[in-house]
Amino acid sequence: MSSRTEAAVSSPAVQRTKIKPAPKRKWGGALLGLVLPVLILILWETASRAGWVAPYLLPSPTAVVEEMSGMAQEGELWGHISITLYRVFAGFFAGLAAAVVLGAATGYSRIARQLLDPMLQALRAIPSLAWVPLFVLWIGIGEASKITLVAVGVFFPVYLNLTSGIQGVDRKLIEVGRIYHFTSLQQIKKVILPAALPSFIVGLRSGLSLGWMFVVAAELLGASQGLGYLMVYGQNTSAPAIVIGSILLFAVFGKITDEVLKRIQTRALKWQDNLENA
Amino acid sequence: MLTVKKVSRTFQSGATGFENIDLQVKRGEVVGVLGTSGCGKSTLLRVLSGLDPEYEGSIQTKSENRGNAFGMMFQEPRLMPWLDVLDNVTFGFSKPSKKEAALELIETVGLKGFEHHYPKDLSGGMAQRAAIARSLLSQPDILLLDEPFSALDAFTKMQLQDLLLSIWEKHHTTTLLVTHDIDEALYLCDRIVIMRGQPGQIESELFIQRPKPRKRGDAVLGELKEQILKELDFTKR
Ligand SMILES: Nc1ncnc2c1ncn2[C@@H]1O[C@H](COP(=O)(O)OP(=O)(O)OP(=O)(O)O)[C@@H](O)[C@H]1O
Ligand SMILES: [Mg+2]
Repeated sequence: MSSRTEAAVSSPAVQRTKIKPAPKRKWGGALLGLVLPVLILILWETASRAGWVAPYLLPSPTAVVEEMSGMAQEGELWGHISITLYRVFAGFFAGLAAAVVLGAATGYSRIARQLLDPMLQALRAIPSLAWVPLFVLWIGIGEASKITLVAVGVFFPVYLNLTSGIQGVDRKLIEVGRIYHFTSLQQIKKVILPAALPSFIVGLRSGLSLGWMFVVAAELLGASQGLGYLMVYGQNTSAPAIVIGSILLFAVFGKITDEVLKRIQTRALKWQDNLENA
Repeated sequence: MLTVKKVSRTFQSGATGFENIDLQVKRGEVVGVLGTSGCGKSTLLRVLSGLDPEYEGSIQTKSENRGNAFGMMFQEPRLMPWLDVLDNVTFGFSKPSKKEAALELIETVGLKGFEHHYPKDLSGGMAQRAAIARSLLSQPDILLLDEPFSALDAFTKMQLQDLLLSIWEKHHTTTLLVTHDIDEALYLCDRIVIMRGQPGQIESELFIQRPKPRKRGDAVLGELKEQILKELDFTKR
Protein backbone atom coordinates (compact mmCIF):
# COMPACT_ATOMS: atom_id res chain seq x y z
CA MET A 1 0.00 0.00 0.00
CA SER A 2 1.42 3.36 -0.91
CA SER A 3 1.74 6.10 1.60
CA ARG A 4 -0.66 8.25 -0.34
CA THR A 5 -3.53 5.83 0.05
CA GLU A 6 -2.79 5.49 3.73
CA ALA A 7 -3.02 9.18 4.19
CA ALA A 8 -6.28 9.24 2.34
CA VAL A 9 -7.72 6.53 4.54
CA SER A 10 -6.64 8.07 7.80
CA SER A 11 -7.88 11.56 7.01
CA PRO A 12 -10.39 11.96 4.21
CA ALA A 13 -9.75 15.07 2.18
CA VAL A 14 -13.40 15.92 1.94
CA GLN A 15 -15.75 15.47 4.78
CA ARG A 16 -19.39 16.38 4.64
CA THR A 17 -21.92 16.24 7.36
CA LYS A 18 -25.50 16.80 6.51
CA ILE A 19 -27.35 18.99 8.91
CA LYS A 20 -31.09 19.14 8.66
CA PRO A 21 -32.20 22.74 8.71
CA ALA A 22 -33.94 23.58 11.94
CA PRO A 23 -37.66 23.85 11.30
CA LYS A 24 -37.84 27.30 12.94
CA ARG A 25 -35.28 28.76 10.58
CA LYS A 26 -37.79 31.06 8.93
CA TRP A 27 -38.69 32.65 12.23
CA GLY A 28 -35.06 32.86 13.13
CA GLY A 29 -34.48 34.82 9.93
CA ALA A 30 -37.29 37.24 10.72
CA LEU A 31 -36.03 37.73 14.25
CA LEU A 32 -32.53 38.41 13.01
CA GLY A 33 -33.92 41.23 10.91
CA LEU A 34 -35.41 42.80 14.04
CA VAL A 35 -32.16 42.92 15.99
CA LEU A 36 -30.79 46.15 14.52
CA PRO A 37 -34.01 48.19 14.63
CA VAL A 38 -34.58 47.23 18.26
CA LEU A 39 -31.01 48.13 19.16
CA ILE A 40 -31.38 51.50 17.48
CA LEU A 41 -34.66 52.16 19.26
CA ILE A 42 -33.09 51.39 22.63
CA LEU A 43 -30.12 53.60 21.86
CA TRP A 44 -32.40 56.39 20.68
CA GLU A 45 -34.58 56.20 23.78
CA THR A 46 -31.62 56.23 26.15
CA ALA A 47 -30.00 59.08 24.23
CA SER A 48 -33.16 61.17 24.58
CA ARG A 49 -33.70 60.33 28.24
CA ALA A 50 -30.10 61.01 29.17
CA GLY A 51 -30.35 64.33 27.45
CA TRP A 52 -27.61 63.64 24.88
CA VAL A 53 -29.79 65.15 22.17
CA ALA A 54 -32.09 68.12 22.47
CA PRO A 55 -35.77 67.04 22.58
CA TYR A 56 -36.81 69.87 20.25
CA LEU A 57 -34.59 68.27 17.60
CA LEU A 58 -35.02 64.58 18.28
CA PRO A 59 -37.76 63.60 20.70
CA SER A 60 -37.65 60.15 22.23
CA PRO A 61 -39.54 57.27 20.59
CA THR A 62 -42.02 57.22 23.44
CA ALA A 63 -42.70 60.92 22.90
CA VAL A 64 -43.36 60.25 19.22
CA VAL A 65 -45.73 57.42 20.03
CA GLU A 66 -47.54 59.55 22.62
CA GLU A 67 -47.95 62.41 20.18
CA MET A 68 -49.28 60.20 17.42
CA SER A 69 -51.60 58.19 19.65
CA GLY A 70 -52.92 61.47 21.02
CA MET A 71 -53.76 62.54 17.49
CA ALA A 72 -55.25 59.13 16.81
CA GLN A 73 -57.51 59.38 19.86
CA GLU A 74 -58.73 62.80 18.82
CA GLY A 75 -59.54 61.18 15.47
CA GLU A 76 -57.49 63.71 13.52
CA LEU A 77 -54.87 61.20 12.39
CA TRP A 78 -57.24 58.85 10.60
CA GLY A 79 -58.34 61.56 8.22
CA HIS A 80 -54.74 62.22 7.22
CA ILE A 81 -53.95 58.56 6.80
CA SER A 82 -57.01 57.75 4.76
CA ILE A 83 -56.64 60.68 2.38
CA THR A 84 -53.00 59.72 1.74
CA LEU A 85 -53.93 56.09 1.17
CA TYR A 86 -56.69 57.19 -1.17
CA ARG A 87 -54.27 59.30 -3.22
CA VAL A 88 -51.73 56.50 -3.44
CA PHE A 89 -54.22 53.87 -4.48
CA ALA A 90 -56.16 56.02 -6.92
CA GLY A 91 -52.89 57.18 -8.51
CA PHE A 92 -51.50 53.67 -8.49
CA PHE A 93 -54.44 52.15 -10.31
CA ALA A 94 -54.72 55.03 -12.77
CA GLY A 95 -51.01 54.78 -13.62
CA LEU A 96 -51.24 51.01 -13.74
CA ALA A 97 -54.16 51.03 -16.17
CA ALA A 98 -52.43 53.43 -18.52
CA ALA A 99 -49.18 51.48 -18.32
CA VAL A 100 -50.85 48.16 -19.04
CA VAL A 101 -52.66 49.47 -22.10
CA LEU A 102 -49.68 51.32 -23.56
CA GLY A 103 -47.09 48.78 -22.43
CA ALA A 104 -49.00 45.88 -23.94
CA ALA A 105 -49.48 47.80 -27.18
CA THR A 106 -45.84 48.80 -27.57
CA GLY A 107 -44.61 45.42 -26.39
CA TYR A 108 -46.69 43.50 -28.83
CA SER A 109 -47.15 45.66 -31.90
CA ARG A 110 -44.19 46.99 -33.78
CA ILE A 111 -46.16 49.91 -35.17
CA ALA A 112 -47.37 51.00 -31.75
CA ARG A 113 -43.82 50.71 -30.51
CA GLN A 114 -42.40 52.89 -33.26
CA LEU A 115 -45.20 55.37 -32.74
CA LEU A 116 -45.31 55.63 -28.97
CA ASP A 117 -42.07 54.47 -27.48
CA PRO A 118 -39.78 57.35 -28.54
CA MET A 119 -42.22 59.88 -27.13
CA LEU A 120 -42.70 58.01 -23.87
CA GLN A 121 -38.95 57.55 -23.49
CA ALA A 122 -38.48 61.28 -23.99
CA LEU A 123 -41.16 62.09 -21.43
CA ARG A 124 -39.47 59.73 -19.03
CA ALA A 125 -36.34 61.85 -19.20
CA ILE A 126 -38.25 64.68 -17.51
CA PRO A 127 -37.82 64.40 -13.74
CA SER A 128 -41.38 63.68 -12.76
CA LEU A 129 -41.55 66.33 -10.05
CA ALA A 130 -41.04 68.91 -12.75
CA TRP A 131 -44.62 68.25 -13.75
CA VAL A 132 -45.98 69.62 -10.50
CA PRO A 133 -46.32 73.28 -11.48
CA LEU A 134 -47.95 72.32 -14.74
CA PHE A 135 -50.43 69.94 -13.14
CA VAL A 136 -51.30 72.56 -10.56
CA LEU A 137 -51.85 75.09 -13.32
CA TRP A 138 -53.94 72.73 -15.37
CA ILE A 139 -55.94 70.81 -12.81
CA GLY A 140 -55.62 73.04 -9.76
CA ILE A 141 -54.32 72.02 -6.38
CA GLY A 142 -57.22 69.68 -5.68
CA GLU A 143 -57.15 65.92 -5.49
CA ALA A 144 -56.89 65.42 -9.23
CA SER A 145 -53.45 66.97 -9.61
CA LYS A 146 -52.04 64.92 -6.73
CA ILE A 147 -53.48 61.71 -8.07
CA THR A 148 -52.16 62.53 -11.53
CA LEU A 149 -48.70 63.07 -10.14
CA VAL A 150 -48.75 59.71 -8.36
CA ALA A 151 -50.05 58.09 -11.53
CA VAL A 152 -47.16 59.54 -13.54
CA GLY A 153 -44.73 58.12 -11.00
CA VAL A 154 -46.34 54.69 -11.14
CA PHE A 155 -46.70 54.66 -14.90
CA PHE A 156 -43.08 54.54 -16.03
CA PRO A 157 -41.69 51.60 -14.08
CA VAL A 158 -44.76 49.51 -14.88
CA TYR A 159 -44.69 50.50 -18.53
CA LEU A 160 -40.98 49.86 -18.99
CA ASN A 161 -41.02 46.50 -17.24
CA LEU A 162 -44.08 45.33 -19.09
CA THR A 163 -42.71 46.20 -22.54
CA SER A 164 -39.34 44.69 -21.84
CA GLY A 165 -41.03 41.64 -20.35
CA ILE A 166 -43.13 41.16 -23.45
CA GLN A 167 -40.22 41.74 -25.79
CA GLY A 168 -38.09 39.32 -23.82
CA VAL A 169 -40.48 36.40 -24.18
CA ASP A 170 -38.60 33.36 -25.43
CA ARG A 171 -39.17 32.96 -29.16
CA LYS A 172 -38.99 29.21 -28.66
CA LEU A 173 -42.12 29.27 -26.52
CA ILE A 174 -43.97 31.46 -29.00
CA GLU A 175 -43.14 28.88 -31.67
CA VAL A 176 -44.88 26.23 -29.61
CA GLY A 177 -48.00 28.37 -29.79
CA ARG A 178 -47.57 28.70 -33.53
CA ILE A 179 -47.47 24.92 -33.89
CA TYR A 180 -50.96 24.97 -32.38
CA HIS A 181 -52.02 27.69 -34.85
CA PHE A 182 -52.76 30.15 -32.07
CA THR A 183 -54.36 33.43 -33.02
CA SER A 184 -52.65 36.60 -31.82
CA LEU A 185 -55.09 36.84 -28.96
CA GLN A 186 -54.47 33.25 -27.85
CA GLN A 187 -50.76 33.81 -28.22
CA ILE A 188 -50.99 36.84 -25.93
CA LYS A 189 -53.18 35.12 -23.37
CA LYS A 190 -51.46 31.76 -23.23
CA VAL A 191 -47.81 32.53 -23.85
CA ILE A 192 -46.86 36.18 -23.82
CA LEU A 193 -48.67 37.43 -20.73
CA PRO A 194 -47.67 34.56 -18.44
CA ALA A 195 -44.10 34.79 -19.68
CA ALA A 196 -44.01 38.55 -19.09
CA LEU A 197 -45.60 38.28 -15.65
CA PRO A 198 -42.37 38.18 -13.59
CA SER A 199 -41.09 41.36 -15.15
CA PHE A 200 -44.53 42.98 -14.83
CA ILE A 201 -44.68 42.30 -11.10
CA VAL A 202 -41.22 43.75 -10.63
CA GLY A 203 -42.59 46.85 -12.37
CA LEU A 204 -45.58 46.91 -10.03
CA ARG A 205 -43.39 46.88 -6.98
CA SER A 206 -41.09 49.64 -8.11
CA GLY A 207 -44.13 51.57 -9.37
CA LEU A 208 -45.74 51.36 -5.97
CA SER A 209 -42.66 52.59 -4.18
CA LEU A 210 -42.43 55.52 -6.59
CA GLY A 211 -46.12 56.14 -5.95
CA TRP A 212 -45.39 56.56 -2.26
CA MET A 213 -42.54 58.89 -3.03
CA PHE A 214 -44.72 61.04 -5.24
CA VAL A 215 -47.58 61.24 -2.81
CA VAL A 216 -45.15 62.70 -0.27
CA ALA A 217 -43.97 65.19 -2.85
CA ALA A 218 -47.52 66.16 -3.81
CA GLU A 219 -48.58 66.60 -0.21
CA LEU A 220 -45.47 68.54 0.75
CA LEU A 221 -46.04 70.94 -2.09
CA GLY A 222 -49.60 71.90 -1.39
CA ALA A 223 -52.19 70.08 0.63
CA SER A 224 -54.42 70.72 3.59
CA GLN A 225 -54.61 67.12 4.62
CA GLY A 226 -52.58 63.93 4.44
CA LEU A 227 -49.45 62.55 6.04
CA GLY A 228 -47.24 64.74 3.88
CA TYR A 229 -49.17 67.80 5.01
CA LEU A 230 -48.76 66.63 8.59
CA MET A 231 -45.00 66.72 8.10
CA VAL A 232 -45.13 70.30 6.84
CA TYR A 233 -47.39 71.18 9.75
CA GLY A 234 -44.96 69.59 12.22
CA GLN A 235 -42.12 71.52 10.65
CA ASN A 236 -43.95 74.84 10.85
CA THR A 237 -45.00 74.34 14.45
CA SER A 238 -41.57 73.01 15.47
CA ALA A 239 -43.00 69.68 16.51
CA PRO A 240 -40.43 67.08 15.42
CA ALA A 241 -42.49 64.32 17.00
CA ILE A 242 -45.18 64.84 14.37
CA VAL A 243 -42.64 64.82 11.54
CA ILE A 244 -40.97 61.68 12.78
CA GLY A 245 -44.32 60.04 13.46
CA SER A 246 -45.45 60.76 9.90
CA ILE A 247 -42.21 59.38 8.49
CA LEU A 248 -42.72 56.22 10.50
CA LEU A 249 -46.29 55.91 9.28
CA PHE A 250 -45.11 56.26 5.68
CA ALA A 251 -42.59 53.52 6.35
CA VAL A 252 -45.23 51.27 7.86
CA PHE A 253 -47.75 51.70 5.06
CA GLY A 254 -45.11 51.52 2.36
CA LYS A 255 -43.84 48.28 3.84
CA ILE A 256 -47.31 46.79 4.21
CA THR A 257 -48.33 47.51 0.62
CA ASP A 258 -45.03 46.23 -0.72
CA GLU A 259 -45.39 43.10 1.39
CA VAL A 260 -48.81 42.49 -0.15
CA LEU A 261 -47.30 42.73 -3.64
CA LYS A 262 -44.43 40.53 -2.59
CA ARG A 263 -46.86 37.86 -1.39
CA ILE A 264 -48.69 38.07 -4.69
CA GLN A 265 -45.34 37.78 -6.43
CA THR A 266 -44.25 34.62 -4.65
CA ARG A 267 -47.72 33.14 -5.00
CA ALA A 268 -47.99 33.86 -8.72
CA LEU A 269 -44.40 32.98 -9.56
CA LYS A 270 -43.87 29.80 -7.63
CA TRP A 271 -43.04 28.15 -10.93
CA GLN A 272 -39.95 30.30 -11.32
CA ASP A 273 -36.64 28.56 -11.12
CA ASN A 274 -34.75 30.84 -8.79
CA LEU A 275 -33.03 30.79 -5.45
CA GLU A 276 -36.15 31.72 -3.54
CA ASN A 277 -38.08 28.73 -4.83
CA ALA A 278 -35.21 26.29 -4.54
CA MET B 1 -49.35 11.75 -47.26
CA LEU B 2 -46.54 14.24 -47.55
CA THR B 3 -44.94 15.33 -50.77
CA VAL B 4 -41.92 17.62 -50.67
CA LYS B 5 -40.66 18.89 -54.00
CA LYS B 6 -37.44 20.76 -54.53
CA VAL B 7 -37.63 22.54 -51.20
CA SER B 8 -34.72 24.75 -50.19
CA ARG B 9 -34.11 27.00 -47.25
CA THR B 10 -30.70 28.55 -46.94
CA PHE B 11 -29.06 31.08 -44.68
CA GLN B 12 -26.04 33.29 -45.10
CA SER B 13 -26.49 33.57 -48.84
CA GLY B 14 -26.61 29.86 -49.47
CA ALA B 15 -23.83 28.75 -47.16
CA THR B 16 -25.97 26.87 -44.66
CA GLY B 17 -29.42 25.37 -44.44
CA PHE B 18 -30.58 22.74 -46.90
CA GLU B 19 -31.16 22.55 -50.63
CA ASN B 20 -33.32 20.70 -53.16
CA ILE B 21 -34.96 18.25 -50.83
CA ASP B 22 -37.30 15.80 -52.57
CA LEU B 23 -39.22 13.51 -50.30
CA GLN B 24 -42.38 11.44 -50.46
CA VAL B 25 -43.81 10.00 -47.30
CA LYS B 26 -46.63 7.48 -47.43
CA ARG B 27 -49.43 7.34 -44.90
CA GLY B 28 -48.26 5.57 -41.77
CA GLU B 29 -44.66 5.48 -42.87
CA VAL B 30 -41.87 6.24 -40.42
CA VAL B 31 -38.99 8.01 -42.08
CA GLY B 32 -35.74 8.62 -40.28
CA VAL B 33 -33.52 11.55 -41.17
CA LEU B 34 -29.87 11.02 -40.36
CA GLY B 35 -27.20 13.56 -41.03
CA THR B 36 -24.12 15.34 -39.87
CA SER B 37 -24.54 18.14 -37.40
CA GLY B 38 -25.51 21.44 -38.99
CA CYS B 39 -26.73 19.97 -42.26
CA GLY B 40 -30.17 21.49 -41.81
CA LYS B 41 -32.27 18.76 -40.23
CA SER B 42 -33.89 21.00 -37.64
CA THR B 43 -34.40 23.62 -40.29
CA LEU B 44 -36.15 21.07 -42.50
CA LEU B 45 -38.59 20.23 -39.73
CA ARG B 46 -39.22 23.92 -39.07
CA VAL B 47 -40.06 24.46 -42.71
CA LEU B 48 -42.36 21.44 -42.83
CA SER B 49 -44.19 22.42 -39.65
CA GLY B 50 -44.84 25.88 -41.04
CA LEU B 51 -42.71 27.70 -38.50
CA ASP B 52 -40.38 28.94 -41.19
CA PRO B 53 -42.33 30.24 -44.19
CA GLU B 54 -39.33 31.49 -46.14
CA TYR B 55 -38.58 28.41 -48.17
CA GLU B 56 -38.64 27.70 -51.88
CA GLY B 57 -40.36 24.72 -53.45
CA SER B 58 -43.62 22.98 -52.71
CA ILE B 59 -44.94 21.06 -49.75
CA GLN B 60 -48.19 19.15 -50.02
CA THR B 61 -50.05 17.15 -47.43
CA LYS B 62 -53.09 14.96 -47.73
CA SER B 63 -54.50 15.79 -44.39
CA GLU B 64 -58.21 16.04 -43.63
CA ASN B 65 -57.87 18.41 -40.73
CA ARG B 66 -55.74 21.31 -41.84
CA GLY B 67 -55.51 22.63 -38.29
CA ASN B 68 -53.24 19.97 -36.90
CA ALA B 69 -51.68 18.29 -39.88
CA PHE B 70 -48.31 18.54 -38.15
CA GLY B 71 -47.37 17.79 -34.60
CA MET B 72 -43.89 18.82 -33.62
CA MET B 73 -41.49 17.91 -30.95
CA PHE B 74 -38.49 20.18 -30.71
CA GLN B 75 -34.93 19.34 -29.91
CA GLU B 76 -35.51 20.91 -26.47
CA PRO B 77 -38.59 20.22 -24.33
CA ARG B 78 -39.93 23.80 -24.60
CA LEU B 79 -42.38 23.36 -21.77
CA MET B 80 -44.15 26.43 -20.45
CA PRO B 81 -42.41 27.06 -17.14
CA TRP B 82 -45.57 28.49 -15.55
CA LEU B 83 -47.69 25.40 -16.25
CA ASP B 84 -47.48 22.12 -14.41
CA VAL B 85 -46.96 18.88 -16.32
CA LEU B 86 -50.65 18.21 -16.85
CA ASP B 87 -51.34 21.72 -18.12
CA ASN B 88 -48.30 21.53 -20.35
CA VAL B 89 -49.51 18.31 -21.91
CA THR B 90 -52.97 19.75 -22.51
CA PHE B 91 -51.45 23.03 -23.75
CA GLY B 92 -53.46 24.43 -26.62
CA PHE B 93 -56.64 22.56 -25.71
CA SER B 94 -59.41 23.22 -23.30
CA LYS B 95 -58.41 21.11 -20.37
CA PRO B 96 -61.59 19.20 -19.42
CA SER B 97 -62.04 17.66 -22.85
CA LYS B 98 -58.52 16.30 -23.03
CA LYS B 99 -57.77 15.61 -19.40
CA GLU B 100 -58.41 11.89 -19.59
CA ALA B 101 -56.28 11.40 -22.68
CA ALA B 102 -53.56 13.57 -21.16
CA LEU B 103 -53.44 11.57 -17.93
CA GLU B 104 -53.20 8.40 -19.95
CA LEU B 105 -50.31 9.78 -22.00
CA ILE B 106 -48.57 11.02 -18.87
CA GLU B 107 -48.78 7.53 -17.49
CA THR B 108 -47.47 6.02 -20.72
CA VAL B 109 -44.40 8.23 -20.70
CA GLY B 110 -43.82 7.31 -17.07
CA LEU B 111 -44.63 10.61 -15.42
CA LYS B 112 -47.50 9.42 -13.27
CA GLY B 113 -47.34 11.21 -9.95
CA PHE B 114 -45.69 14.24 -11.48
CA GLU B 115 -48.83 15.75 -13.03
CA HIS B 116 -48.64 18.78 -10.79
CA HIS B 117 -44.92 19.39 -10.84
CA TYR B 118 -43.57 22.47 -12.55
CA PRO B 119 -40.91 22.06 -15.26
CA LYS B 120 -38.25 23.45 -12.92
CA ASP B 121 -38.72 20.38 -10.75
CA LEU B 122 -38.28 17.90 -13.60
CA SER B 123 -35.05 16.36 -14.78
CA GLY B 124 -34.04 16.92 -18.38
CA GLY B 125 -35.30 13.50 -19.41
CA MET B 126 -38.59 13.93 -17.58
CA ALA B 127 -39.15 17.27 -19.28
CA GLN B 128 -38.48 15.64 -22.63
CA ARG B 129 -40.99 12.93 -21.85
CA ALA B 130 -43.59 15.53 -20.94
CA ALA B 131 -42.90 17.17 -24.29
CA ILE B 132 -43.44 13.84 -26.04
CA ALA B 133 -46.78 13.46 -24.32
CA ARG B 134 -47.72 16.98 -25.38
CA SER B 135 -46.87 16.38 -29.02
CA LEU B 136 -48.91 13.16 -29.05
CA LEU B 137 -52.03 14.59 -27.46
CA SER B 138 -53.30 16.36 -30.55
CA GLN B 139 -53.00 13.14 -32.57
CA PRO B 140 -51.49 14.90 -35.55
CA ASP B 141 -51.49 13.30 -38.99
CA ILE B 142 -47.78 13.83 -39.37
CA LEU B 143 -45.51 13.82 -36.36
CA LEU B 144 -42.22 15.66 -36.65
CA LEU B 145 -39.67 14.61 -34.05
CA ASP B 146 -36.37 16.44 -33.71
CA GLU B 147 -33.93 14.24 -31.85
CA PRO B 148 -36.54 13.43 -29.26
CA PHE B 149 -34.42 11.11 -27.17
CA SER B 150 -30.95 12.54 -27.51
CA ALA B 151 -30.98 13.89 -23.95
CA LEU B 152 -32.07 10.66 -22.32
CA ASP B 153 -30.19 7.81 -20.68
CA ALA B 154 -29.86 4.62 -22.68
CA PHE B 155 -32.52 2.77 -20.72
CA THR B 156 -35.22 5.43 -20.79
CA LYS B 157 -34.43 5.92 -24.44
CA MET B 158 -35.18 2.28 -25.23
CA GLN B 159 -38.40 2.44 -23.24
CA LEU B 160 -39.56 5.48 -25.13
CA GLN B 161 -38.60 3.99 -28.46
CA ASP B 162 -40.81 1.05 -27.63
CA LEU B 163 -43.47 3.52 -26.57
CA LEU B 164 -43.30 5.13 -30.01
CA LEU B 165 -43.58 1.72 -31.63
CA SER B 166 -46.74 0.94 -29.68
CA ILE B 167 -48.20 4.33 -30.52
CA TRP B 168 -47.54 3.80 -34.20
CA GLU B 169 -49.13 0.41 -34.02
CA LYS B 170 -52.25 2.01 -32.57
CA HIS B 171 -52.53 5.22 -34.56
CA HIS B 172 -50.40 4.64 -37.67
CA THR B 173 -49.09 8.17 -37.34
CA THR B 174 -46.94 9.24 -40.25
CA THR B 175 -43.64 10.28 -38.73
CA LEU B 176 -40.48 12.09 -39.66
CA LEU B 177 -37.82 11.34 -37.10
CA VAL B 178 -34.61 13.33 -37.04
CA THR B 179 -31.91 11.59 -35.07
CA HIS B 180 -28.19 11.27 -34.55
CA ASP B 181 -28.52 7.75 -33.32
CA ILE B 182 -28.12 5.24 -36.15
CA ASP B 183 -29.31 2.34 -34.01
CA GLU B 184 -32.44 4.26 -33.15
CA ALA B 185 -33.16 4.97 -36.80
CA LEU B 186 -32.59 1.32 -37.70
CA TYR B 187 -34.81 0.15 -34.86
CA LEU B 188 -37.72 2.46 -35.56
CA CYS B 189 -37.84 3.51 -39.19
CA ASP B 190 -39.21 2.02 -42.39
CA ARG B 191 -36.85 4.18 -44.37
CA ILE B 192 -33.78 6.22 -43.61
CA VAL B 193 -32.85 9.37 -45.47
CA ILE B 194 -29.25 10.44 -45.16
CA MET B 195 -28.39 14.09 -45.45
CA ARG B 196 -24.99 15.68 -45.56
CA GLY B 197 -23.20 18.79 -46.70
CA GLN B 198 -23.42 22.52 -46.16
CA PRO B 199 -26.08 23.32 -47.29
CA GLY B 200 -27.44 19.86 -46.65
CA GLN B 201 -28.77 17.66 -49.42
CA ILE B 202 -30.21 14.18 -49.50
CA GLU B 203 -27.28 11.89 -50.10
CA SER B 204 -29.03 8.56 -50.16
CA GLU B 205 -32.07 6.63 -49.09
CA LEU B 206 -32.27 3.26 -47.44
CA PHE B 207 -35.31 1.03 -47.06
CA ILE B 208 -35.46 -1.30 -44.09
CA GLN B 209 -37.82 -4.12 -44.78
CA ARG B 210 -37.53 -5.90 -41.46
CA PRO B 211 -40.85 -6.34 -39.67
CA LYS B 212 -41.31 -4.44 -36.43
CA PRO B 213 -40.68 -4.87 -33.55
CA ARG B 214 -37.10 -5.62 -34.49
CA LYS B 215 -34.39 -7.16 -32.42
CA ARG B 216 -31.88 -4.59 -31.26
CA GLY B 217 -28.89 -6.77 -32.10
CA ASP B 218 -30.16 -7.90 -35.49
CA ALA B 219 -27.31 -8.89 -37.82
CA VAL B 220 -28.89 -7.40 -40.93
CA LEU B 221 -29.33 -4.11 -39.12
CA GLY B 222 -25.69 -4.31 -38.09
CA GLU B 223 -24.64 -4.51 -41.72
CA LEU B 224 -26.84 -1.56 -42.61
CA LYS B 225 -25.23 0.40 -39.80
CA GLU B 226 -21.79 -0.21 -41.32
CA GLN B 227 -23.07 1.10 -44.60
CA ILE B 228 -24.59 4.23 -43.06
CA LEU B 229 -21.46 4.96 -41.08
CA LYS B 230 -19.49 4.91 -44.29
CA GLU B 231 -21.91 7.32 -45.93
CA LEU B 232 -21.71 9.74 -43.03
CA ASP B 233 -17.95 9.58 -42.72
CA PHE B 234 -16.60 13.10 -42.39
CA THR B 235 -13.21 12.23 -43.76
CA LYS B 236 -14.68 11.12 -47.04
CA ARG B 237 -14.57 13.81 -49.72
N1 LIG C 1 -32.34 31.43 -38.36
C1 LIG C 1 -31.12 31.12 -38.84
N2 LIG C 1 -30.30 32.08 -39.32
C2 LIG C 1 -29.08 31.79 -39.82
N3 LIG C 1 -28.57 30.55 -39.88
C3 LIG C 1 -29.33 29.53 -39.42
C4 LIG C 1 -30.63 29.76 -38.87
N4 LIG C 1 -31.16 28.56 -38.49
C5 LIG C 1 -30.22 27.64 -38.79
N5 LIG C 1 -29.12 28.21 -39.36
C6 LIG C 1 -27.94 27.51 -39.85
O1 LIG C 1 -28.36 26.44 -40.64
C7 LIG C 1 -27.55 25.31 -40.42
C8 LIG C 1 -28.40 24.11 -40.12
O2 LIG C 1 -28.97 24.26 -38.85
P1 LIG C 1 -29.88 23.13 -38.20
O3 LIG C 1 -30.25 23.56 -36.85
O4 LIG C 1 -30.98 22.81 -39.13
O5 LIG C 1 -28.87 21.90 -38.13
P2 LIG C 1 -29.15 20.42 -37.67
O6 LIG C 1 -28.95 19.55 -38.86
O7 LIG C 1 -30.44 20.31 -36.96
O8 LIG C 1 -27.94 20.21 -36.67
P3 LIG C 1 -27.92 19.36 -35.32
O9 LIG C 1 -27.85 17.96 -35.74
O10 LIG C 1 -26.65 19.83 -34.67
O11 LIG C 1 -29.14 19.71 -34.54
C9 LIG C 1 -26.57 25.67 -39.31
O12 LIG C 1 -25.33 25.93 -39.90
C10 LIG C 1 -27.15 26.90 -38.70
O13 LIG C 1 -26.12 27.77 -38.30
MG1 LIG D 1 -31.01 20.09 -34.97
